[in-house]
Amino acid sequence: MKILIIDDSGVMRRIHKNVLIERGIAEDDLIEAEDGQVALALATKFPIDLFLLDWNMPRLNGLEFVKAVRALVQYQRTPIIMITSEAARYSVLEAIQAGVTNYVVKPVQGEALYAKLGPYLGK
Amino acid sequence: MKVKYVNPFLKASMNLFKDYLGLSLESGKPHLLANPQDLGEVSGIIGLAGETKGAVVLSFSRETAIKMVSRFEKREYYALGSEVIDGVGELINIIAGNAKQDLLDFRIEISLPGVITGGNYKIHWPEGIPVVSIPFGSELGPFTVNVSLLDMDKD
Repeated sequence: MKILIIDDSGVMRRIHKNVLIERGIAEDDLIEAEDGQVALALATKFPIDLFLLDWNMPRLNGLEFVKAVRALVQYQRTPIIMITSEAARYSVLEAIQAGVTNYVVKPVQGEALYAKLGPYLGK
Repeated sequence: MKVKYVNPFLKASMNLFKDYLGLSLESGKPHLLANPQDLGEVSGIIGLAGETKGAVVLSFSRETAIKMVSRFEKREYYALGSEVIDGVGELINIIAGNAKQDLLDFRIEISLPGVITGGNYKIHWPEGIPVVSIPFGSELGPFTVNVSLLDMDKD
């Protein structure tokens, strides 16, 4: 299972990676991107099974990424978990309407994050 | 600037530093920052736009910034390198993004975070809007959350 972690913060990408690695996900299955543009390029090169996506990023932000990736036929049903500090109700609705599968508000890590991701990891 | 515009940032800061990072946190009385440039050596800044305008700045000493990011990532840092600067940006991003849920009078867009360091920088706060500073004390050192937000309603 290939998981693409998209966040412009290297600190956040490491936090997410560590949560997954500590729970048995192979490091080789984790791919990182620092913005939506890089993520979109990676997703067209490699088949991705799960996207973990930040919202506020340079170049192509999370919401723009969702719209772009959902337009690709191979990713119309792939789970996209938005993990963001954007906690306003209108932000959640906007993300869900754009095609996000689930929405997690930062700060979150460890068990709390894994509980949200578990159903999409086949565990 | 109304208290109801400051409280969401206070609440978001408590949530991040006390509930999430597990610090024993004390918040002091919010006050007008007489000198808006009176900030610590490391400051994370986010601009607020949309139906209002403003900025929020999280400011630490160098030592406290390093300790905070170490606690946040659960990884020990000893110097103010790119990872710590990145982490400070993420901390202010979380405060601003979380505060939005309680700023009910207007829809706000937050900018990407910027982090500035050194002893002699100048922040370009939105003109004509006072800056309210919330001081915090913690076992990792003191820090401040500083908010400047244009009052849009006429209450």
